[in-house]
Amino acid sequence: MSVEVRNITKTFGSFTALNNVSLNVESGELIALLGPSGSGKTTLLRIIAGLEFADPGTAQVLFHGEDVTNLPASQRRAGFAFQHYALFRHLTVFENIAFGLRVRPRATRPSEESIRERVTELLKLIQLDPLANRFPSQLSGGQRQRVALARALAVEPKVLLLDEPFGALDAKVRKQLRRWLRKLHDDIHITSIFVTHDQEEALEVADRVVVMNEGGIVQIGPPHEVYDRPANAFVFNFLGNVNLFQGRMDDGLMKIGDTELHVAENLGTSVSDATVYFRPHDVKVSTEPVGQESIAALIRHINLAGPVVRIDLERADTGSRFEVELNREQWQGIDRRVGDRVFVDLQRVRVFPTDHKTPLEDFSI
Amino acid sequence: MSAPHSLIATERLGGHRRPTTEPPWVRRLLIGVALAFLAIFLWVPLAAVFAQAFAKGARAYFDSFNDPVTFAAVKLTLIAAGIAVPLNLVFGVAAAWAISKFNFPGKSLLITLIDLPFSVSPVIAGLIYVLLFGAQGLLGPWLIDHDIRIIFAVPGIVLATTFVTFPFVARELIPLMQAQGRSEEEAALSLGASGWQTFWRVTVPNIKWGLLYGIILCNARAMGEFGAVSVVSGHIRGETNTIPLHIEILYSENVVAAFAVATLLTLLALVTLCLKTWVEWRAAAESQTAEAE
Amino acid sequence: MAQRKTSPLPGFRLTLGYTLLYLCLIVLLPLAATFLKTATLTWDQFWTTVTAPRVLASYRLTFGTSLLAAMVNLVFGLLVAWVLVRYNFFGKKIVDALVDLPFALPTAVAGIALTAIYAPNGWLGKPLAALGIKAAFTPLGIFIALTFIGLPFVVRTVQPVLEDLDAEVEEAAASLGATRFQTFRYVIIPMLLPSLLTGFSLSFARALGEYGSVVFIAGNQPMKTEITALLIITKLDQYNYAEATAIAVVMLVFSFVMLLTVNLLQWWGSRFQQPH
Repeated sequence: MSVEVRNITKTFGSFTALNNVSLNVESGELIALLGPSGSGKTTLLRIIAGLEFADPGTAQVLFHGEDVTNLPASQRRAGFAFQHYALFRHLTVFENIAFGLRVRPRATRPSEESIRERVTELLKLIQLDPLANRFPSQLSGGQRQRVALARALAVEPKVLLLDEPFGALDAKVRKQLRRWLRKLHDDIHITSIFVTHDQEEALEVADRVVVMNEGGIVQIGPPHEVYDRPANAFVFNFLGNVNLFQGRMDDGLMKIGDTELHVAENLGTSVSDATVYFRPHDVKVSTEPVGQESIAALIRHINLAGPVVRIDLERADTGSRFEVELNREQWQGIDRRVGDRVFVDLQRVRVFPTDHKTPLEDFSI
Repeated sequence: MSAPHSLIATERLGGHRRPTTEPPWVRRLLIGVALAFLAIFLWVPLAAVFAQAFAKGARAYFDSFNDPVTFAAVKLTLIAAGIAVPLNLVFGVAAAWAISKFNFPGKSLLITLIDLPFSVSPVIAGLIYVLLFGAQGLLGPWLIDHDIRIIFAVPGIVLATTFVTFPFVARELIPLMQAQGRSEEEAALSLGASGWQTFWRVTVPNIKWGLLYGIILCNARAMGEFGAVSVVSGHIRGETNTIPLHIEILYSENVVAAFAVATLLTLLALVTLCLKTWVEWRAAAESQTAEAE
Repeated sequence: MAQRKTSPLPGFRLTLGYTLLYLCLIVLLPLAATFLKTATLTWDQFWTTVTAPRVLASYRLTFGTSLLAAMVNLVFGLLVAWVLVRYNFFGKKIVDALVDLPFALPTAVAGIALTAIYAPNGWLGKPLAALGIKAAFTPLGIFIALTFIGLPFVVRTVQPVLEDLDAEVEEAAASLGATRFQTFRYVIIPMLLPSLLTGFSLSFARALGEYGSVVFIAGNQPMKTEITALLIITKLDQYNYAEATAIAVVMLVFSFVMLLTVNLLQWWGSRFQQPH
């Protein structure tokens, strides 16, 4: 069952939550809507579910080609999992899952026996069959979210929509549950869209990632593609740790401080102020300069805890700070102390025009 | 998400309706029925008090107050409330302190017992003091021997008023102080404050709105109590009649005067409601600023 | 009671001691005296007093009108709370503040005002009389007065629960295919049920003991429009303390049962609270 939205605009008073958004989700796909808070991702999900309606106009929501734009939530058969689960606290786990079947019109309502069968089957799927008679208040957060998923699946939804499904859980349960969700999806192949602000979660679980910002879609693609080939500075920034050097672009030559870099991008002659983006691990660190493009820097802090060694560096020419990550073998080849001088070669960089609206210092996050 | 998802969708969204609200005609119907109910049962009686008081014009209205007996009733009401409210205020603060800051067995029983006067009929509230202090009561003979009058006198009226307003301050403060816990007081003590300093500088500022609210409600009930006071008063004109009792007597003699005096208590009720709304508004505003910080 | 070292704060002995002393002096000892007084009657005398036809008629009237008023308040209290929480309309803040009028307005004032309205020549009494309905000085009048004084209870117990109700839960029901009415019936009402019943019980308990607002509009005819509270006063006026006390004890027992009910309901209502 494919999902398509066309020309969705949504305003709340003077705030534009979504600005003419269109998106196509293939049947059986697991899609992540990724973006910072306020980017419009939850609003888009709620519009697909029918919990919110787009501004009137040419907006359309299609489930497998069928126009559901005007259908209320109760008639869309879109399963929805809420961030805070929204379980019915006066009903047991069993009755929560059975709810969607029991409220069907008499003509299509399954028999008591088949309701029981279906709920038991789902309880097994979420591995909570011993807890069928518990109340939601007696469950842990992870268990509650599994019940909420089973409840949404019970009505055999055309599409499964999840709003920050793991947002309220602690880090460890979160990781377990997102693997479980991936496995569940591989087993039942229901078209699923989930909203998250956690790039790691999106990159790990989704077939495709939709990066959103300020009410629009910035980039769509498989996880490795958005990570390796971010469409713009925002995506590069949002998808992982990044260092920024500001400089001037001149005919394919990027001047940053005392160093000139040959870069692949051609931003055209009109752009002169540009920023170099690179990931902390996309660098080579040496004790001697390797060539013309090596950047001299002083070690300011070394963090040896964890699988990678993180080093805070200060550029010798401009004094700006940045961070690099090395694996332990690489670090053993260097083995310098705080205050020592090293040389950094940038392996993979992206250059984007400097955003003068929100001027950034050279920084690392 | 920062987009505001308001529960109340006042405008129609291009013919669509959020799943958490009803069609406009249902909304209008429900509002209409609710307001009609409130109008018949609340607003019409309120209006009737003033309409009846001014039925024979403003002059008759103001003449109604030119009566020493009315002044005596006002004075007695002020005395009764002036004693009962402070007594119950001190009690309410003490009880709330003990219950909210300490753990001890029988706490929920104590809370239930504090609420007890609310479930006792006002008539019975008066009766119990008659049975204790009346001429034929348990302590009656002893009181007569010592020439002390409690029933059919001012002390009885004060006692009955105290009984019916007993829980007001306590039941406002107990849940409030329980919710606040005791970490701020502990912090104050660890910084070297004494018990009294902690109470005045930390506890009181935190509970001031709840405290004020409790006092307002307590006072309204104290000045308006009828049943309990009626039993212990003896209805001696100019001596043991509070305003409500005076209204009862006037009602059988001069309806306009009864309603004129009733407007005093009605205005008191309206002032009480205004203060209550204001206190709630202030408390909400303060907790919002606290959250924003 | 020994100081328990459960808190580093001072003042436990002082405040608890004062609380208990004051509670005993003002409430518990005088109440105990009432029961002592009935002990001067033999069981047979007591039983004859509290089951006399006139007394039984007063119970029937008091319970019947109180129950009816509490039921009307249950339905309309929910409606008023719903409208105040969910909808916007002109003057909503004032309407909300005025709901507490029966708490703030002295019962005697309410009593004479209601009587004036429902008297045969009153604002509402006249049209009712034209329909052949007598309100004042009949059980209908008592019911009206009891509805007035019990009105805020259901509204004020349901309102905060309704405000805290998570919109997501209703959205969840809708996304599972429930109609708006099904969501109301199977999700909202069950979650409001403890507060609805609490408000109902409070309203009922208040009506059982009410005196001031009823006595003016009731007519106070023995066997017909005489409520139990008035009967107690009548006995007192006749210096018949023993019988007054016996009837009062019956009323007190009912009050305690209602108090217990309310406490049980509140405990039941906290049962589903999710620890967040």
